[in-house]
Amino acid sequence: MTTYSLPLSKRKRAVKTRPPRDALFIAAACALGLIVLVAVAAAVIPFAGDPARIVGPRLSPPSAAYPFGTDALGRSVLARLLEGTRTTLVLSTLAVVCTAVISVILGLVAGYAGGWAREVIMRLSDVLYSFPSIVLAILIAAVVGPGQAAVLSSIVLVTVPLMTRMVSAAAMSVAKRDFVTTAKISGVSAPVILFRHLLPNVSGTIAVQGTYALSVGILVEGGLSFLGYGVQPPRSSLGLLIQEGGSYMLQAPWLLFAPAAVLVVAILSINLIGDTMRDRLDPRETRSLV
Amino acid sequence: MMQILRWSAGRVMSALITLLGVSVLIFVAIRLMPGSYEDIILGPLASAEERQLLAEAYGLDQPIFVQYFAWIGQVLTGELGTSYVTQSSVSGEMLERIPVTATLTIMAMAVTLLAGVPLGIWTGVRSGAKQGGAVGRVVSSIGISVPEFVLGSIVIFVFSQFSLGLKVGGFASIGTGFWPTFQALLLPALVLSVFCVAATARTTRDAVMGVLVEPHITAAVARGETAGHIVRHHVLRNAGIPILTLLGTITAYLLGGAVIIETLFNLPGLGSFMVTGLGRRDFAVVQATVLFAAAVFVVLSLVLDLITSALDPRVAVTGKAGS
Amino acid sequence: MTANAPAAPVVSLTGFSAEYRTRLGVTRALDGIDLDVARGELLAIVGESGSGKSTVSQAIGRMLPRVCHVTSGSVHVLGRDIASLAPDAIRALRRESLGFIPQDPIASLNPTMRIRRQLELALRPLGRPTDLESLTELLASVKILEPDRVLRLYPHEVSGGMAQRIAIALTMAREPEILIADEPTASLDAQVRDEILTLIVDLVQRSGASLIWISHDLGAVRRWCDRIVVMHQGRIVEEGPAAQVLDEPRADYTRTLVAAIPGRQDPTTKEAE
Repeated sequence: MTTYSLPLSKRKRAVKTRPPRDALFIAAACALGLIVLVAVAAAVIPFAGDPARIVGPRLSPPSAAYPFGTDALGRSVLARLLEGTRTTLVLSTLAVVCTAVISVILGLVAGYAGGWAREVIMRLSDVLYSFPSIVLAILIAAVVGPGQAAVLSSIVLVTVPLMTRMVSAAAMSVAKRDFVTTAKISGVSAPVILFRHLLPNVSGTIAVQGTYALSVGILVEGGLSFLGYGVQPPRSSLGLLIQEGGSYMLQAPWLLFAPAAVLVVAILSINLIGDTMRDRLDPRETRSLV
Repeated sequence: MMQILRWSAGRVMSALITLLGVSVLIFVAIRLMPGSYEDIILGPLASAEERQLLAEAYGLDQPIFVQYFAWIGQVLTGELGTSYVTQSSVSGEMLERIPVTATLTIMAMAVTLLAGVPLGIWTGVRSGAKQGGAVGRVVSSIGISVPEFVLGSIVIFVFSQFSLGLKVGGFASIGTGFWPTFQALLLPALVLSVFCVAATARTTRDAVMGVLVEPHITAAVARGETAGHIVRHHVLRNAGIPILTLLGTITAYLLGGAVIIETLFNLPGLGSFMVTGLGRRDFAVVQATVLFAAAVFVVLSLVLDLITSALDPRVAVTGKAGS
Repeated sequence: MTANAPAAPVVSLTGFSAEYRTRLGVTRALDGIDLDVARGELLAIVGESGSGKSTVSQAIGRMLPRVCHVTSGSVHVLGRDIASLAPDAIRALRRESLGFIPQDPIASLNPTMRIRRQLELALRPLGRPTDLESLTELLASVKILEPDRVLRLYPHEVSGGMAQRIAIALTMAREPEILIADEPTASLDAQVRDEILTLIVDLVQRSGASLIWISHDLGAVRRWCDRIVVMHQGRIVEEGPAAQVLDEPRADYTRTLVAAIPGRQDPTTKEAE
């Protein structure tokens, strides 16, 4: 009797398991969680007061009565900051969800179908990719007029090209694998292959790209509102608050620093979370040159 | 060689298609912008005859694709229209502003090349030598997480509160000579370069780490070659493609208009032109500047791709770098 | 130096253990390996994937991946404990005494450079001639038919066998005392395998170097090697002269391995007849 393959015994057994520890990731997640929690809680229980109400003298510095000071109209900075944070987060999250839906459909089709469908989708995403994000946002603001709709559509159009490319690349490599070929041969329909076989296998890419898109979304909202074409007063958003803060910088620097700090911490946390997710998804080896 | 030629031809073709798409998108956007030419030029009280005459004069009664090709024809001859507000030639105004934006771009890119690339190489090579690297990761993450409008506002605050040698403002002196222009643009260029340096360092680090784990580096290490020799001859060239691509993208974006920084520092460049145009509903200015920004990007990335294919012979064969 | 006396082993592992530490957990790779390689010896290390044979070959050049940690024991090469060597000293050791022949020869060449440039870059620091004539001669010595043409090609334009000849030329040009070949024919077509193995063994025998050959091709191992080490789950389960280990295996695992050689009778059934 002849055997043609080498006997396979159980490979390297795991001796003990160490929990993955990443202090940076935990810190980032806590910071972001705190920002989201406080901003959302303020909508339910208005502990910081009404952001539209004039509560005291104009431009008074932070004190016990006005924890973050008051703005140029005498409104509470804390209340406006919480409202602004909420607006920014809601707008960018909403936009990223739209981006994800569009990109996943386009990316899966491009990655699976290839050929002309892919070519068309990639050219379209190249067209959008050719505009610097803030320039594209300005073009959109010119068409739809300043406001939340401009912010929302800008974020979607700015983030769609990159995410579509990444999803399509991931889908393409999955589509080459044997289980997809097998499914195809056994007559499984294209939508089923796309959503049952490809989608779960590119979900990691979607999560990572979605996270990065969220930080881009906050940046775009900030930039557009900062230029005056995003969220319009009397509503507030982080970008708008920073722009207002900038104009009273010399008399009342707290107007600038509070929203700037929230914005930077939010973007930084999201980027760090994205980095960690990417490293988990695609663990990198390293090589020493010694 | 044939392969490279065929690939290059394909690449030029797709760049042309992208440019076509960009122009259609902008053209459609112009048509969708609120307020027609007539409203803007004649005001809301104009009579139907006046509107009719103007529409004929501007060719607005023609079929849409005729209008598109007429517009393309104008763009190709450098005729970017007349500002609705100042009635001056948009292309003339742009020509005056391009040097400001270009100088700003060159200064920011100089800092990026001198700081970002070496930083990325260093952290990338070190990534294999020692555990951690958390500090470098946090610093570069902060760099890409601080938006330029935040950093710019803070820089303006700091430099106007305390006298630190550099003046904020004095931008009237732009174009009056090398030294005054340099001084006026230094702060905005530095603010711009923070993001560029951090992004370049991250990309460079990733690219270097990616090359370091390739088998030909292991082979070089096994041959006992020194770290310097390996980095110089085997890592840099192979990691060059993603780095070059990023540098090209950043350059194109900066040239297209460092919109926020120019607005914030009140610089007479293309970006602030675009924003002022939008503010005055001067759509002729908006479309021209936006078109310029996108065209610069498409052309620059085409040039970069052609350079790339020369750097890595596999690009023309497989369409992408890497093994 | 007594270490270089003929009797002393050129490579010696003593009680060598190592483990892989990854996010998923810790995996023992090598467990108390004792192994001596004599000067001029042709040694084969065989075993299934994951048995630790590649880890041994990497440990000899201190080329273990980052996630692999040495937990006990030592490796001596030419009488020197390699764990204690400074970076420059280990580089010098690899440069002057060790030669590695790669598993995937095409990938072991820099994809962005023509062959000639790579040879120049690798040989110049060694003070070897890098003019066209010497390079042509070098490639001819590993039986490359059109060396002039090959020098002008990029790695992705040559075949696997050709790339392996180039890699061998690069390695042998440095005249190493110890040659380590980790499945040098794994990525090659069947018909070129024999040619490459013949070339390696021929060069090794002519230069008097020792060969450590990692393989799972037992037939080829028996043909070329003096001694066989059989590894299983990070341990050495059997070692001895090639013919003896393969014809009269003592360990159970070796018996299973030998039984798996195509066209070969299971020694246990032979005894039963």
